[in-house]
Amino acid sequence: MEAASVPARTTRTASLDAARRLVSHYGLIAVLMILPVAYGIHDLRVDGDLSRLGENLKDGVSNGAIWALVAIGYTLVYGIIELINFAHGEVFMLGSFVSFSFWSALGLTLASKGAGLLFGLLLTLIVAMVACGGLNVMIERVAYRPLRNAPKLAPLITAVGFSFILQNVGLEWLGGSQRGVDDLIKAQNDLFTIGGVHITHADVLAVAVTVPLVALLAWFVTRTRLGKAMRATAQDPEAARLMGVNVDTTISLTFLIGGMMAGAAGLIYALYQTTIWFFQGFQAGLIAFTAAVMGGIGNIQGAVLGGLIIGCIQQISDNRIGGEWTPAIVFAYLVLIMVFKPQGLLGEETREAG
Amino acid sequence: MSSAAATWRGLGDRIRELPRPVVWAIGAAVLVLLILLPFAYQPASGFIDDCVTALAYVVMALGLNIVVGFAGLLDLGYVAFYAIGAYVIGWYGSGFFAAIAGGKGLHVWAESAGALPGIHFNFLIVLVVAAVYAALAGMIIGLPTLRLRGDYIAIVTLAFGEITRVFAINGADIHPFGKDYPLTLGRQGITPIDPIDLPFVKQFDPLNLRPWYWFALAMVLVVLFVNFRLRDSRLGRAWIALREDEVAAASMGVPLVKTKLKAYATGAAFGGMSGAFLASYLNTVNADQFEFSFSIFVLAMIILGGLGSIWGVVLGAVALSFINSRLIPDVLNGVPHKVGLNFDLTELSFGIFGFLLVIMMVLRPEGLLPERRRQIELTEGVGGDETLYEARA
Amino acid sequence: MGLTACGGGGNGGGGGGKVSGSTLTVYSSLPLQGASRPQSQALVNGMKLAWERAGKKAGKFKINYVSLDDSTAQAGKWDPGQVSANARKAAQDDTTILYLGEFNSGASAISIPILNRAGIGQISPSNTAVGLTSNDPGAEPGEPQKYYPTGKRTYVRVVPKDTIQGAAIATVMKQEGCKKPYILNDKEVYGQGLASNAEQSLKAEGIPALGNEGWDPKAPNYRSVASKIAGKGADCVFLSGITDNNGVQLTKDIAAGVPNAKIYGPDGLCESAWADPKKGGMPTSIDSRVECTVATLDPDKYPPEGKKFFADYKAKYGEANPDPYAIYGYETMSLALDAIERAGDNGGDRAAVIRELFNTKDRQSVLGTYSIDVNGDTSITDYGLYKIDNGQIKFDRVVKAKGASA
Repeated sequence: MEAASVPARTTRTASLDAARRLVSHYGLIAVLMILPVAYGIHDLRVDGDLSRLGENLKDGVSNGAIWALVAIGYTLVYGIIELINFAHGEVFMLGSFVSFSFWSALGLTLASKGAGLLFGLLLTLIVAMVACGGLNVMIERVAYRPLRNAPKLAPLITAVGFSFILQNVGLEWLGGSQRGVDDLIKAQNDLFTIGGVHITHADVLAVAVTVPLVALLAWFVTRTRLGKAMRATAQDPEAARLMGVNVDTTISLTFLIGGMMAGAAGLIYALYQTTIWFFQGFQAGLIAFTAAVMGGIGNIQGAVLGGLIIGCIQQISDNRIGGEWTPAIVFAYLVLIMVFKPQGLLGEETREAG
Repeated sequence: MSSAAATWRGLGDRIRELPRPVVWAIGAAVLVLLILLPFAYQPASGFIDDCVTALAYVVMALGLNIVVGFAGLLDLGYVAFYAIGAYVIGWYGSGFFAAIAGGKGLHVWAESAGALPGIHFNFLIVLVVAAVYAALAGMIIGLPTLRLRGDYIAIVTLAFGEITRVFAINGADIHPFGKDYPLTLGRQGITPIDPIDLPFVKQFDPLNLRPWYWFALAMVLVVLFVNFRLRDSRLGRAWIALREDEVAAASMGVPLVKTKLKAYATGAAFGGMSGAFLASYLNTVNADQFEFSFSIFVLAMIILGGLGSIWGVVLGAVALSFINSRLIPDVLNGVPHKVGLNFDLTELSFGIFGFLLVIMMVLRPEGLLPERRRQIELTEGVGGDETLYEARA
Repeated sequence: MGLTACGGGGNGGGGGGKVSGSTLTVYSSLPLQGASRPQSQALVNGMKLAWERAGKKAGKFKINYVSLDDSTAQAGKWDPGQVSANARKAAQDDTTILYLGEFNSGASAISIPILNRAGIGQISPSNTAVGLTSNDPGAEPGEPQKYYPTGKRTYVRVVPKDTIQGAAIATVMKQEGCKKPYILNDKEVYGQGLASNAEQSLKAEGIPALGNEGWDPKAPNYRSVASKIAGKGADCVFLSGITDNNGVQLTKDIAAGVPNAKIYGPDGLCESAWADPKKGGMPTSIDSRVECTVATLDPDKYPPEGKKFFADYKAKYGEANPDPYAIYGYETMSLALDAIERAGDNGGDRAAVIRELFNTKDRQSVLGTYSIDVNGDTSITDYGLYKIDNGQIKFDRVVKAKGASA
């Protein structure tokens, strides 16, 4: 299809395209750097060092790590069946709920320490990942598979329907209020300080869980047979089927992995924020979807990058501009990035974005 | 399911096969029934209330259908136009700008407002202004999406919807035209809004819903007429060509930019008009109304009804609106009590709403009344819908 | 159907009217879905308790109580269309005598004009927006007249308006030695209104706030907001909002990010879901730095009536420390039944019951003794200051709001 559009171009549009490429290349970098550079200069003039900006970016990275894990679920599902899975945020929310209920059942409290705590949380992580992965597979079976050959937007509505149902499950589970949970890892206590930036337990946790998971996922997708089947299905389901790939299993697998990432994110979220509620998935889903698109939807590295960038924008805006404006700043950034790079930061010229 | 669907389709086909005068006669009879409907109920009846809301949603859904159903541009930020329409009447049809003209108020063709402070334009003027503002906003929102396709359009429109909401919430702190003239009143809400005031008719009243109903019905008829005319016009065919295959449409000489912007502007204008009407009817403009979930609500109406199908969209809007405002609160919530259970169903109602969405979509994936073009492809078994969307990609 | 015909006339002639028969209906209209559900549930519980304790009767009349929902499934919170529908439903019902609600001030702004035209009295358990009843500072131009198309007042409330609590908070902060206060608000009608009143009172006390900024209830956390406040050197932070707008997370993050600062909460936060970690509240480690104000007083100083309420509430719902909204709900219904009873044989006359509402003088209640003034506001100006001790909200002392006119 790209080939089809090339002959239509004249020399005038070619020079325009060259200008556009230039703008999209440097304009994008400029857009991304506006806030940090402006506030960096401001900090150097006022405070004399960059610790405040460093603090913002550090908070951004650790928050963004959670968004990244949720965004992976969006991007994987989108890559393979081109569906915006609106129920994904709710799967993440239930990940937090499962984690909290499970560790309470294990008897982890504020007094838990050391190896017992570590082991308990690892067990919780596994349980949350399995539960959310299974839930996501079930949703695919019930709500999306029957609509595989329906108009493309039909599953979008079943996704919305499921998101309402899961929110209601959350409401019945822990009630309508936000619920503070035990601060098992002393989330806001400092572990160490570098260059005036305080690194807290929560920051370390977010990065320490996200990095191995993303690395493992990248290895799985690029190196294993199943991962290759996933990529093949994403590129052309029909051809993959002809080559002997079981498309249904592969799609289930994709939902399983996406759900597992959301489950892990749910646990980190509960430990990191120490407050959970049935509506947390809605906003998280919106942010993670934005992150996935920003990075180039269908692209795992892009989702991670998008999550981290949004995390940083949020924290800088909370800290400098005011929390009430943060959602608008995040979305304004998204629009700018889309203007300069319509296929997302790391997106290729895919069928959708071509 | 397939047999039920076939019956529906058969019914549609049979109506189409009837001679034109018969179709017109049936249409006229239905219209007369609709006009007389309020007399079967009390003036402030809850049913008529739900009808008025449903009609206003039909206008919105028909507007969104132009963007998503005809032109194939997935818009997840439609709530922005609802907000703009609502704020237009908030600005030009209430006591919001009380300081204007030294507190004496500015009245244009609005006798019922008396000497109230604030700007009070006649509702018909407000309606036009709302349509124009929303159309302009539609084009502005459309601009950055011109180079985008598919779901990237979705996220950019969603972004604009959210930005609009944030401005609505924080607007009380923004004073573009001086201290006494904030942009919005945030979550406090601008209340009251002028009721509709038409020439030769008494000002509308919140305890008599009949005039509101007739006005909404008239709006729906006008919008329906415009929709049919547009669909069958050169522009309508350009939209559908764009939806089916953008590259092919461009090479056949369809001007992409103009065609897309016209779709955004027309769809937005309807949203703005409906927004102004709803604000007057609901008597408030509150930032809390303009959430992302409203965009999804309207989108669900048109997808459930049958994307691109005008009658399907009307049906979808009426169905979802009634499920939300009547079936769940008034019918289902009474059930546990009737069977003797002391159980409060309100805590399950949005789960029920979600469940109904899933069930309806799974049972009728192509919508309640699919678009004829699509229906033909489906019945002829040309690889179902895939052809449509694969071709577009 | 004389009522609706009257309304349909469009002149809004005051409606009113008498209920024939000996059964009257009291409606409540509250958001029973979504995030406000817990408070609404507490209000309904309180109302039901009062209704049942009175034997479902007032004077010689039998009372029906109908709880309406002003939220919708799609929105998950109060919805203007549903509010109007509820008000119209009450207006249409020939047996309606009083209407209790709404929970949100923005919603009451919609139902007051409709009920005012229909001549039905209304009591809100929770609205604090100044402009609904008076044009004191904080009201918008045209308020409150624009809500009362008949020119007659039909709306009263049992919670003090924002000006009173704002002044009380400022008084406490001054007393406790705050030098650089900072205000955060949740941008709701309640939170924002209270914040601007507190800001004015703080200025009057000579300790102007360093800032008054909104927080986003949907944000996952407030660490960067906290570090900004710490950077400005604030020593006291007033959180003007409600628990359900992420109040617990905000309190935790401010406590961690602004070390040593004292944290103050209004009655919207002062509840067990905020204070008690067992109910999802903040950790006990920060209890000593946190205080909150509520219009309710020391439970030990309550009149017998009030003490009985706590015992009954515990017996019925198993909670020793009811949510403040349960108390407001209880008092709203009690006041309604009391007004009907005081109207005597005219208890079925809507206008007579409204007159009795405004005639409320020195009423002994769970909230203390109060009267209703001509605007429909309560005369309560005393606020209880509460400390948090191991997750429990404990009464500390009475605060007189300085400079607040009742």
